[in-house]
Amino acid sequence: MHSKASLILGAGIVLVSGAAIVIALDWPLKARLFPLAIGIPVFCMAMAEVLWGLLDPAARSEAMEFRLSDEAQGGVAVRRTLLAVAWMAGFSAAIVLLGFPSAIALLVLCYLRLQGREGWIVSGIFTLVVWALFYTVFDRLLHLPFPAGLVQGWLGL
Amino acid sequence: MRNALAFIAAFTLLAVAPRAGVAQPLSFEGKTITIVCGFKAGGGYDRTARILARHLPKYLPGTPNVIVQNMPGANSITAANHVYNVAKPDGLTIGTFNRNLVLAQLTNVRGVKFDQTKFAWIGSAASESTVLAIRSDLPYKTFDDLKKSGKTLVIGATGPGANTYDFPLLLKELLGVDLKIVSGYSSSSDIMLAIERKEVDARAGSYTSLRPFIDRNLVHPVIRAKAIEAGIEQLPVDENLAPNARARAVMALRSAPEVVGRPYVMTPGTPDDIVKAMRDAFSKAIKDPELVAEAKKGKMELEFMPGDEALRIVKEVLAQPKEIVDDFRKYIKFGE
Amino acid sequence: MIDALLEGLLLVLQWKAFAFMLLGIALGFWVGLLPGLGGVTTLALMLPFIYAMSPVEGFAFLLGMHSVVATTGDITSVLFGIPGEGTTAATILDGHAMAKKGQAGRALGAALASSLVGALVGALALALAIPVVRPLVLAFGSPELFMIAIVGIAFIASLSAQGARGMLRGFLAGGLGLMVATIGQDPQAGVARYTFDSLYLWSGLDLVPVLIGIFAIPEIVDLIVRGGSIAGEMPGGRLNQGALEGVKDTFRHFWLTIRCSLIGTFIGIMPGLGGAVAQWLAYGHAVQSARTVEEREGFGKGDVRGVLGPGAANNSKEGGALIPTVAFGVPGSSSMAILLGGFFLLGLVPGPDMLTTHLAVTFSMVWTIVLSNVITVVACFLFLNHLARLTVVRGHFLVPVILVLVFIGSYTANNHYGDVVLMLFFGVVGYLMVAGGWPRAPFVLGLVLGKIVENNLYISVARYEFAWLTRPIVLVLLALAVAVILYPLIQARRSRSRSNAHA
Repeated sequence: MHSKASLILGAGIVLVSGAAIVIALDWPLKARLFPLAIGIPVFCMAMAEVLWGLLDPAARSEAMEFRLSDEAQGGVAVRRTLLAVAWMAGFSAAIVLLGFPSAIALLVLCYLRLQGREGWIVSGIFTLVVWALFYTVFDRLLHLPFPAGLVQGWLGL
Repeated sequence: MRNALAFIAAFTLLAVAPRAGVAQPLSFEGKTITIVCGFKAGGGYDRTARILARHLPKYLPGTPNVIVQNMPGANSITAANHVYNVAKPDGLTIGTFNRNLVLAQLTNVRGVKFDQTKFAWIGSAASESTVLAIRSDLPYKTFDDLKKSGKTLVIGATGPGANTYDFPLLLKELLGVDLKIVSGYSSSSDIMLAIERKEVDARAGSYTSLRPFIDRNLVHPVIRAKAIEAGIEQLPVDENLAPNARARAVMALRSAPEVVGRPYVMTPGTPDDIVKAMRDAFSKAIKDPELVAEAKKGKMELEFMPGDEALRIVKEVLAQPKEIVDDFRKYIKFGE
Repeated sequence: MIDALLEGLLLVLQWKAFAFMLLGIALGFWVGLLPGLGGVTTLALMLPFIYAMSPVEGFAFLLGMHSVVATTGDITSVLFGIPGEGTTAATILDGHAMAKKGQAGRALGAALASSLVGALVGALALALAIPVVRPLVLAFGSPELFMIAIVGIAFIASLSAQGARGMLRGFLAGGLGLMVATIGQDPQAGVARYTFDSLYLWSGLDLVPVLIGIFAIPEIVDLIVRGGSIAGEMPGGRLNQGALEGVKDTFRHFWLTIRCSLIGTFIGIMPGLGGAVAQWLAYGHAVQSARTVEEREGFGKGDVRGVLGPGAANNSKEGGALIPTVAFGVPGSSSMAILLGGFFLLGLVPGPDMLTTHLAVTFSMVWTIVLSNVITVVACFLFLNHLARLTVVRGHFLVPVILVLVFIGSYTANNHYGDVVLMLFFGVVGYLMVAGGWPRAPFVLGLVLGKIVENNLYISVARYEFAWLTRPIVLVLLALAVAVILYPLIQARRSRSRSNAHA
């Protein structure tokens, strides 16, 4: 996991910085100078990082930061990570389809029912409280412009 | 059940009312009018919108609730696209955007999905005059002194597309003033600090934003653009010094939107009676003594220009011959 | 001077001014807690309400609100790993790590106590600096600002990971941040760089969605994977005494807290560096203060010093940022720019007058910062241990709430779906960085400083050609940058030879 993530990241940076250098070459001098001055060293360092990873896959380097927990191992961890991604993707889709207000209610309710296995009453009350707070603060007080979802558009509301 | 029926009835009424509403007198009672501002909270456009939002309800039939929503992004092209294409023409959405959007349309900036002449124009809430102000400890008192001095003047600027950059650029390129434009300051206040530490000699900017520093005698204005404000009438105007008609046209084009300094528009197709009610409300609200007092405290100078006049200026800008537009494009890029 | 000091205090203690200050504190408290809803925006929204107030009341209200935002922002950062404010992201690294070890109370206590110390130092600096403000600020021109930014990035990049490969990754992350910062219209030629014809990218990336994505998404994924509460299966009993322990920590590392406060004040004074920088430099300094390599390895895994540093700096910078605002009428940060609008509304012209004729008003601002921080910290301590209990709440109650805050918090940056996409994208990047053991701090600092580095370099060259390299402060900073890069290498070598000697 550790070295795989590093490899993806390193290769990604090689690609992005390479593309950034190529794109920048078309610009007038003043616009391209800084992106090139940064992009070229980043490209070289990313190459070095990728090669290092390939030549010495056992070498670990720790950032002084939090590490992903290792309580869950192997297949369980992968499955749960995918589950997390699915929840976020689902929430994003719901926001686009239904708009923020409905999507929020849906997420809180579904998460508690399906992931948390709470009863309907607890889930319902908790959803109501979260939604009411959201509505008062962001809609009533701050007037954020939440676009309506696509579904509302299709229904002609 | 009765409730549900009443709800459906009310709903149908709401949906039908605007279409059948020709006969009834116009009223915004119980409604919320949204002013979509193309910039973040806190800037000049936002502050103007908020002061108007507080005083407009008094002058609108049915005293609706007026709120401001910020929709920043792409120098307010995003907000303009929204009001033009997404908002409904029901008079409940007002847009206020970057005054230079008309230049973005003129120079075919990619991403522009609106036609300024088709908006339902309410008008402009203020004109913003650009001046060039130089450090008061320099020996030059007037623009003439400056031209005759033979010394290079260092100008601090934010970047292309802003008046801190474009105005001196045209002075340099078209009037031949010896200027060195140092661009990249993150805000106009950073340029003021650079002036304090004598890193630069001068900056261009709206007269409103320079006023406190002029009052303190840190800088003084030496030349202005066409738009006029009390206190700077006697300054020379850039385009009057132009050596030829072409240069004059380019400078006039740059400063034209400043006369429509705080544009207010509604979605194309908004019914005429609503537009008229809005124009009336704006013109009355801007003269409201409370608003005037507040604006004065905030060092804002509001003056209403009705929509037809603003639209006339917009059309004039967009009707420029191709040679002038091409020329203009060589110098000016649409930006902040 | 002493008269003005006392007069300023009496001005704030008038019941009306005091009441407005309490109101401001109450508002700022919530603004700080909610991610995305920033102090800057709220200041702008509250500006219209001060028309009817006197100058002292108006500032008690605005500054009261503003001063507590960074304090309560730390709370969100510590408890949930979401930056409550753009200026409190650094607290996450060790603060949230402590929360996961079941030490949320201690981390919160440390964050609050150091915030208080920071605010006091910042206010004191403001009061002391008044006579020397002008020469101090004027000594730092564009070349100096450029060098400060370089020192900052070098500092964080070289400190935040271990060994040669760690350093490579640190600089790589920093460089990536600088690259990402070039997105948007450039201020020299007006070219739209890396925008791919998208309007959303035109004005560059907003910091808040990037920060939320890069810090919060990995935490959420981890929380779901673990399945339990934030603090895992830790015994809940220790949460209760934690807060006091955090306060003691502040005094255990008192000089570190003071030094980080001074760093914050200094960054605050420098206009144009922005509020998000101070916390990271303070964090870097806290890491650097570790004497041995083993000690340094504890950072990021819940070392209390990693909380104290940024906690102190993000409060002390406010006192510093007031200095240029008051003395020149030039704001030291974006929130100060809005406060400046408040000056005008209240009929004050910021500038040298504020240091002479209106000195009492200036001191009333100092007092407001002091009092509102004291009040907030005391108020927070009353229910700090209850807040800490949130970390033992079952995960499935927290996850949906955190997700909602994360999505809305990023959406509020520009009220645009693009913000949400951006947050998710950098969420993936952040996750990969965490999974691969890459430091995120240099990336963030690079992103924050990218525009400053590029613009001030251009200005320096355009204005002074290459003579700027010979300016004395530039030379000192250059030496500092070199030292900062070499220091960890030397330190590593020394500890290696020492351990060899032991063996």
